[in-house]
Order: sequence, then structure tokens, then C-alpha cells
Amino acid sequence: MISDAARRRYQAIVPPHVDDAYALARWLSGSPVDAEDIVQDAALRALNALETANVEQPRAWFLRVVRNTALTWMAKNRSKSLAFAGSANDLAEIESVDLTADDGSPEAILIAAEDGERVRRAIASLPPPLREALVLREINGLAYREIAEATETPIGTVMSRLARGRAALAKILEDKR
Amino acid sequence: MSDSDPRQDRLLRLNAALDDELDATHRVELERELERDPQLRVSLRRLSAVREAVRRHGAPEAAPTALRNAVAAIGRPKAQRWRFPLPLAAAVAAGIVIGAAAQALIFPPPAADPVAAIVSDFARAELAGQPFDVASSDRHTVKPWLVAHAPLGVEVVDLADKGYPLAGGRIAIVGATPVPTLVYQRREHWIALTELPLSLGDGALRAREGALDGFHMVRWADRERAYVAVSDIDADELSTFVAAFRTAAGANGGESR
Repeated sequence: MISDAARRRYQAIVPPHVDDAYALARWLSGSPVDAEDIVQDAALRALNALETANVEQPRAWFLRVVRNTALTWMAKNRSKSLAFAGSANDLAEIESVDLTADDGSPEAILIAAEDGERVRRAIASLPPPLREALVLREINGLAYREIAEATETPIGTVMSRLARGRAALAKILEDKR
Repeated sequence: MSDSDPRQDRLLRLNAALDDELDATHRVELERELERDPQLRVSLRRLSAVREAVRRHGAPEAAPTALRNAVAAIGRPKAQRWRFPLPLAAAVAAGIVIGAAAQALIFPPPAADPVAAIVSDFARAELAGQPFDVASSDRHTVKPWLVAHAPLGVEVVDLADKGYPLAGGRIAIVGATPVPTLVYQRREHWIALTELPLSLGDGALRAREGALDGFHMVRWADRERAYVAVSDIDADELSTFVAAFRTAAGANGGESR
């Protein structure tokens, strides 16, 4: 049975962030339909968790629930090749992003940025941990410490993933095609 | 940041600067480096271009209405969940207005609890994603609109410098009486402040503050009117808002009792 206190906290924390949750779930799952299922599932989880959870950063907290729900959801519904975050493949892929190879041109990126479909494809092609950090920062507008909370990673890792995510995206967008 | 490669370290700091996450000392240091190093300036423009591209094209549309409604409904006790889709909700809301007016002709208005009516009005407005009928942060716009639509004087207080910008106004229906409601914003939350004639508000308003259907509310009265504030912000924050409103309204000549 859910207490009134939990319901009140839910009303304060969850509905105001449904757009953020939906945006994150879309980028994590790659599908608008799946994103709706994930956010609804996450909202139910949040309500149950709010009986006991101590929430200091409401938005980051709820986005963490969304993220974890998405991971569970995708592990259950998707093939292994699409499984999310933390696999050895990912790590190798992340490490292979060279931060310091930044001799490309800002103008080429700005030109590529005119093509929304191309930008979205480029974001979707990033290794999941980099994509996730970038979406939380640029789309959800979270501060570093909130991203750290949402992804349960240290701030140093958040910084490194963001920098690598941007470097990788710059490379992809600079590619003439 | 623990990375030993100085070049890499510098790029991490450049990213942090772009994200406004660098402390003052490091920022000054980085600005000096930027002045000296044209390549670093190119790097910064590159990162800014990437950011611009992601922000411009990466944001999906807002959550679908059905999802929004479902998420709002999850937090409500089962008996009080609204399940109808949005167009129907609007039709029902319109029906309530018409129904209430018709009912007033046939029966005297029931002695319903005005607070419950105001809270459910707030919930309905939140659910419909339409917290106000007139959207304006200018009280000189909101006040005439409210005065034109409700037969009751309204005190519109500017609280923007206290962190509660005015978002707009709407008319709530209590029993069969249209009452003016101011909508203030607090971060991404709304606070609805309804003014009631004393005939409606004074005797029938039981609780001073409390929670109903998952929302917090505070009520009080002065010599002329009763007030009810409703929001989904927490109880302490709502009390702070009420105190700020009363102070500002008092300075305008209202007298509390």
C-alpha cells in the first residue's frame, strides 16, 4: 500500500520531469514507443521507492530510476548486441576515442549541424555511456554532480565521458559525406 | 582530471569551462591559455559547435499527452485517478462550468468544501497542461483579465524578485461562483493562489494548511477575502511562498487578521 506521504513526494518529483524522462528514455532505447513504456515503468518504480528513498536531487534521482529501468527493460526485450553500457566492447570503444585529436574544423561541424537527421544519427552511433552523458548534459541540462548521481559514476568519469563524447561526435560530423 | 597527459587534462578543463563547471581560479588560468594558444581556441569553437548541434537537433518532442496523463495518474489514490483522454477532460471541464451554472438556477449551490473544489481545479489544470487561461508575467495584464472574468476584486502582487514570477491567471469555479486565481511559478512547478469572497471562504474553510490528493494547500483570510494557495511544491516551500505573498500584499495596504 502506498502512503499519502509517498504520493505527495511523487507528485512533487515525477510529473514535473516527465519530458526529461521521456527524452532520456528515447535516447537510451532509440524508440519512442519503448520510451513511453520505460517512463511509465520508471514512474511506478519511483512511487514505490519514494516510501523510503531519501531524495536530494529530485530530477537526477528520477532520471536515475529512468535509466535503470531502461537498462532492465532493454536487457529483457533486446538482443545482446543492443544491450546497454558497461560491456567490455564499450570500454574499448570509449578508450579508442582520442581526446587530443582535435585538429578538425569548427566550420565543418557547423555545416553538418544544419542536417538534423545527420546529427541525430551521429548521436545514436556513440557508445552508450558517452551518449548517455551527453544527453543528460545537453538535452536534460544536468550539472556534473547530477549526472554523477543519475548514472552512479564518479564525477571524474562523467567529465571524461563528456569530453570523449564530444570529441567522437566532432569527428563524425567533420567527416565529409 | 587525474589523467597525467597534460594535453588531455587541458581538454577536460575546456569541456568543464564550456559546461560552466570550472571554479574561478581554473577559469582565469584557462582564459590566459586561450589568449596564448590559437589551437586551443579552435578546440573551444569545435566543442561549442558540437554542443550547438546536439542541443538543436537532439531534443525530442515533449512527452506525449497520454504518457503525461498516465504518469500523473500513477501518483493518485486509485479512486481519484482520472483516466479519460485529454479532449474529453477539456469537455468534462467545460461541462462542469455549464453544469454548475445550470445547477445554480435549479438548486442552491451545495455546501461543498471550497478547498476541495480548488484543489481539484488545480489538479485538472495540471493534468490538462494548462495552468492558466491568460499567460502573462505582467500583473497589469493579468489583473484586468481576471477582473473582467470574475466578479471579485483581486490583488495581484509581484513576487518575481522573491523567486516566484507571475505566470498568468485563470478562473476557478467554486460551487457556481467563478473566482480569480493567480498562477505563480516556482522552478518548474506552479502555485495557484485563489481568492474567495468571505461568504464562500470563511466559514467553510476548515483546515489552515494540509494536503489533499497529493497537493499541498494553505488557506488564510483577511478582512475582505479568503485565500487558498495550492501547489505540488512541498509544504515548507508553500508556506514560504504564502509568507512572501502576505508580506507583499500587506505592504499594498491589505490587513491580515
